[in-house]
Amino acid sequence: MDYFAGVDIGSTMTKVVIMGQEVIASVVRVTKPEQRRLAYLTMSEALREANLSFDELTYVVATGYGRINVPFADKQLTEISCHARGVTSLVPGTRTIIDIGGQDCKGIKVAGGRVVGFVMNDKCAAGTGRFLELTARALGVKLEEMGELALTSGNPVEISSTCTVFAQQEVVSKLAEGVALSDILAGLHQAIASRILSLVNRLGIEPEVVVTGGGAKNIGLVKALERKLGFPIVLPPDPLLTGALGAALLGRDLVEKAQKEGSFPTRQERRLEEVKFFA
Amino acid sequence: MAEQKWPDKYPIEGRRGRKYGTVAAMKVAPMVKAAIGGAVEAKRQGKAVAYCFIESIYDEIIRAMDIVPMWTENYAGICGAKRDAQRFIDKADSLGFSRSLCTYATCGLGFDAWREELGEMPPNAPWGGQVKPDVMLSSGQIICDPRNKWYQACQQFMPDVPVYNCAALWPLYEDDLDRHDVEAYYVKYITEDLRGLVRFLEEHLHRKMDWERLWEVIKLADETTDLHVECRELRKAVPTPMDTGDAMNTMVAQCFLMGTKEAYDFFKELRDELKYKVEHKLGVVPEEKYRLIWPGGLPSWFALTDFNYFWSKGAVFPVESTYHELVYSTKDLDLPQTDDPLEHLAWKWIRRQTYWWDKAKKRPGSEPDVEKLITWIEEYKIDGVVIHEAYSCRSWHVGLLWQVNQLSKIYRPIPVLTLKGGKKEVVYRELPSLVLESDMIDISSYSEAETRAKIDAFIETLESIKSRRVEV
Repeated sequence: MDYFAGVDIGSTMTKVVIMGQEVIASVVRVTKPEQRRLAYLTMSEALREANLSFDELTYVVATGYGRINVPFADKQLTEISCHARGVTSLVPGTRTIIDIGGQDCKGIKVAGGRVVGFVMNDKCAAGTGRFLELTARALGVKLEEMGELALTSGNPVEISSTCTVFAQQEVVSKLAEGVALSDILAGLHQAIASRILSLVNRLGIEPEVVVTGGGAKNIGLVKALERKLGFPIVLPPDPLLTGALGAALLGRDLVEKAQKEGSFPTRQERRLEEVKFFA
Repeated sequence: MAEQKWPDKYPIEGRRGRKYGTVAAMKVAPMVKAAIGGAVEAKRQGKAVAYCFIESIYDEIIRAMDIVPMWTENYAGICGAKRDAQRFIDKADSLGFSRSLCTYATCGLGFDAWREELGEMPPNAPWGGQVKPDVMLSSGQIICDPRNKWYQACQQFMPDVPVYNCAALWPLYEDDLDRHDVEAYYVKYITEDLRGLVRFLEEHLHRKMDWERLWEVIKLADETTDLHVECRELRKAVPTPMDTGDAMNTMVAQCFLMGTKEAYDFFKELRDELKYKVEHKLGVVPEEKYRLIWPGGLPSWFALTDFNYFWSKGAVFPVESTYHELVYSTKDLDLPQTDDPLEHLAWKWIRRQTYWWDKAKKRPGSEPDVEKLITWIEEYKIDGVVIHEAYSCRSWHVGLLWQVNQLSKIYRPIPVLTLKGGKKEVVYRELPSLVLESDMIDISSYSEAETRAKIDAFIETLESIKSRRVEV
């Protein structure tokens, strides 16, 4: 049996998926500065969960911003390709993917399971998890509770700033005016949803729309997006893992394609070992 | 990957980055330096210097009157390419010019303000600096408000330097408007505009137009443009002998030196080089995998090495729209005969601007720029589209996304049944696009890591589409 691994080092989370024909292990850890060490630790944990040794892995693909920090990967592919592959394997009718990450936001258009276009917001925290994280801190609310709280709002306020910094100022003044927390949170989610959709609309949004990344775990944000779109959004079972899943699947695709042609994808000698900076 | 065998006349030894680029493009840096430094030296010699904008209508006029142009947008481009524009932009910012303004203008305004304050060039000014002119010739046309107002703003620092605004208008495309019905009216307007320009120059620079000389310069410019068209046509070859990375340099001859023997000789040399390379199948990269189009807009002048990054992935740009707006063969323009050189210039201007109108009318909902792109996508065998949205230049960049969306309606990711040599064939004609976001001068808007990540993702998309075409 061939086994494939996908490693997705994002700005906030590091994810590993190991699969044969099905996924047999998955691990999610918080990304820290020592990305190479974390890649090693996360992969080691995933192998333990899968009850496999590293040498039993046929092919390893790395993705995410930190993909160059996975020395044991056979190939590096961008998150665009990996998310598209991962999502379309879970939701075959996908046409538009919205990945709401910690520090960026991406829109991916797919057709027939392949990427036909993409957009990325990488210069501005508005529309990303960072926006929610900072405003949660400003409001004294737990990040994981923001979405549910927002849904209890009966009268969302208008948050006019798209800039994360200015939005915080606006939020603080709304609090001072005595506006209900749930209404502020609902307004914030609407603002983020607007920002995200104005970016992804450049591609032309078509259903099925799938949302992935940490933003997909925020029910308030998902509902705000659905209200603006006017139709339901599909959420994958584990939205944090679609990139790593896609990476593993693409690794499998590469190997199968090469095997059909009687060869194997080129790869360098690789070892799974802990990176030590000091002797 | 087979190494191409390169002849000694087009050496590649010792070249980094743009290893297989044109030898002609390598000569551009000294040409630009001479042009910019030339203005400084010209002023020292007491010659007349004019602030000018490229891609205007008055190149031949200023050459015929021995006026030395100082291309202000392009001086800003040089500051940007040398990554030394920020201090001038900051200076403009401190004077109250918005950071949302065209960064060509803010760089230029900052430079001029600083120079006039000091009474000499700012310290370590790139390439000797931008010299104070005798006159300033605006040319915003109908697309660019900075090019209409920039030199007026300069008069805050140089109140003794007069400005002439050459409007150089053209009709806006409309489905139900026949260009032949309105062209003559615009030509009449533009001709009068140019007469006003000549009077202005004669008055302020104390010289008379030599009309015979103007005709000679116009003839030379027309022949030069014809050579440039030949060069562009040669780039259709597979592999392409020259790409946009080089064209952003070779544009210098078109835009800075039009009407001079130097420009003519340059394009002749470039044409011969490209011809040789086409005959010997010498391409810009050893293995050409993807052919891309740059539909319009300005590059990041501080990051032209991004083209090298595309090259490293086997991706080339055989054609771009930028700086080809005025590059049409005089034969194709079908210009009416006239004894008036200014009227000839006006007709040339209008016919260039309406060149794609007739074709656009044949496709409902289309538009001339889109028709141009469709034609070139087919002729140059293009696999994908790359646009750069420069945030400070809405004039030239607004509309690019719309054009890309129009293309996506035609080049859809669905199988298309075609007949080829009597046989039915399934073809996929999807055309993926990449949007890069930054600025042409302001480096703070740019992230190399993010740009390269986007390029990587785009290359993967192209590969995925290509492999599907092969499977089919």
